[in-house]
Amino acid sequence: MEAIIQYLLTGLSVGSVYAMVGLGFYVMWSAAKAVNFNFGDIFMLGAVLAVVLLDLGAPLLLAAPAAVLAAAMVAAAIERGFVRPFNREANAIGWMLTTIAVGTMLESATTALFSSNPRALPSPLAEHPIRLGGAGIYPQELLLPVALVAVAFGLEFFYRRTLTGRAMRAVAYNRVAAGLVGIDADRITLLAFFIAGLLGALAGLLIGPVIQASSTMGAVIGLKGFLVAIIAGIANARGVLVCGVLYGVAEKFIEGYLSTAARDAIGFTLMVLLLLLFPQGLFGKAEFKKV
Amino acid sequence: MGRRVRDCGRRAGLGGLLALAAIFSALSPAKAQRAEPCIGASWEVTGPLANQGLMLRIAVETALEKINAAGGVLGRPLRLVVYDDVGEPARAVDNARRIGERDNCVVMFGGARTPNAIALREPLEEMGMPWIGPISAGTTVIEHQNGRNQWMFRVSMKDRWVTGYLVDQAKQRSASGRIAFVYEGTAWGQGALPDVEAAARRAGVTLAGRETFNIGDQDMSAQMIRLRDAGVDTIILWAVDRESANMVRSMDRIGWKPKIVSAWGVTTAFARAIGPLADGIMVAGTFNWNGQLSPEAQAAFDAMKAKYPDRIRSTADLEQPSAMANAWDAVHIIVEALKLAGAYDRTKLRDAMFRVNYTGLVADYRPAFIRDNQERMDAVLAEHYKLQAFHNGMLLPIEATPYGMRN
Repeated sequence: MEAIIQYLLTGLSVGSVYAMVGLGFYVMWSAAKAVNFNFGDIFMLGAVLAVVLLDLGAPLLLAAPAAVLAAAMVAAAIERGFVRPFNREANAIGWMLTTIAVGTMLESATTALFSSNPRALPSPLAEHPIRLGGAGIYPQELLLPVALVAVAFGLEFFYRRTLTGRAMRAVAYNRVAAGLVGIDADRITLLAFFIAGLLGALAGLLIGPVIQASSTMGAVIGLKGFLVAIIAGIANARGVLVCGVLYGVAEKFIEGYLSTAARDAIGFTLMVLLLLLFPQGLFGKAEFKKV
Repeated sequence: MGRRVRDCGRRAGLGGLLALAAIFSALSPAKAQRAEPCIGASWEVTGPLANQGLMLRIAVETALEKINAAGGVLGRPLRLVVYDDVGEPARAVDNARRIGERDNCVVMFGGARTPNAIALREPLEEMGMPWIGPISAGTTVIEHQNGRNQWMFRVSMKDRWVTGYLVDQAKQRSASGRIAFVYEGTAWGQGALPDVEAAARRAGVTLAGRETFNIGDQDMSAQMIRLRDAGVDTIILWAVDRESANMVRSMDRIGWKPKIVSAWGVTTAFARAIGPLADGIMVAGTFNWNGQLSPEAQAAFDAMKAKYPDRIRSTADLEQPSAMANAWDAVHIIVEALKLAGAYDRTKLRDAMFRVNYTGLVADYRPAFIRDNQERMDAVLAEHYKLQAFHNGMLLPIEATPYGMRN
């Protein structure tokens, strides 16, 4: 029973990270029909920049939001410099290469400037775990599902209740028509990448105190965030949220009862099978185009 | 007329033969092995283990500065040429070609990763270039399957000996005798498993668990719960800093603190990352800069501190303490061998390596290497290994910590 509680707790925490990163992919895709393939680096920057700011003497309460904001600005800059110029034509795929290239550059630069060693991101919530019999969890990890719920409600409110959010939905629905009614689609796309950056960087910042900040911390998580977005159907936010959390919990049970080494192999095989059965994703809908 | 034509033909033939002989002479190994006074290095300047590369550079550059200030070697200054392998074997091979063919260095220095060192076997053999490794500990780096290693030397630990050492240390410290092996799912970790199992058999230990994890894993609760439930009280760990830190966090989550005896992938960066949770974790190594230092070791540290004042302020900043001492000794062994060789000639240098007797920081190398015995192309022997432990954030000799005795 202790083991089951442990797998649920850590699965919920890890799954929340996947879901937040997956939601970042959702926000980018909705606006641009393109994503930053190395989005894991924005996740990494959220934690790494916080450590850098703490090194410079900033208090945690200032360093944390400043790091998230700075990482989100990097995400927006990537859209402006490495996605938009390569996503002009219908079915353009140049942005795939350019975002992978810029992500590699970001990771190398971070290694050179920040060090290749993992660094502690101090948080009072990651010092002593809460124990439940033989299971336990750091309060810091419990922040992740709380933040996920807050982010989900925030996004829902933004998309439905604000003018900019509605404009973003309009761009997602039909970029050309949105432009015809006066919406600056390019500006909205830039904003979408910025918001996605906020989500990714926030996830990195929140998990950083538990897993340490390092230049390579985002590689696998970025990939898994993309994976859950695809399984869910990348255009369905609720689906991404649910799939992210379920994938995290499933991983823990696979580790616990099947195989640690084969965890990713099983997870990725599952993804392929699900995509065969549900080509639009578990929560996606087939898109019909009038011709 | 006919005779003159025959003579001309003979002369032309003779000239051609001489020209061919000259060309072959120019291309012969003996000619190629007249090398430049440089140590060519291939290690990670960027990539996940870039800090190890930096630490090696600090040790090697400082040692060379001291040697060159005293007049160099054979009357010429010895310099270091570094190439980045990004942790990739293919890049390491490219770098070896550059070092051997373009820079024509007399010797090559290796970095951290065992697969990179293994990939160098053939190019080194082809170029006839000696290589010396201060870190990569894989057994087969030195002990080649064909038994014909002629060019690769090591001043570092050897996995086959390390595993035996760790099993013995774990056995001494385990109260219940229930010992487990936890290792990363890479070539380095997988390669250690048979060695650990063999060492455990020799020591009469039955491993109570074998657990693995993937690079980048954040949580290892599942593995730790299994080991805890199996009654394990001592873990032999084969991992590097980040994953080790995440493993210890997972132990802390479930309130379990077994003894940990680790291979040297765990460095001071680990303790910096997780703070007090590192206390008591034991690590095998070859040298510790925090103990009572010999005058030579103190001088080496002072020189590194003077040369790199922004990077090295105290011994705690020597993030790869054993590897840095190994590298320091390796440079001095090369210098001794060059003096014995009497020329910047790779073959003569290789042959002279077997005649080096040198008292270094890590060991008294007498001799450093033994010819026709590839097991002894390792200079650091198991008897030179030292157990260290983290205490208050520092990696100290085990005897200087409260963990020296069975506890």
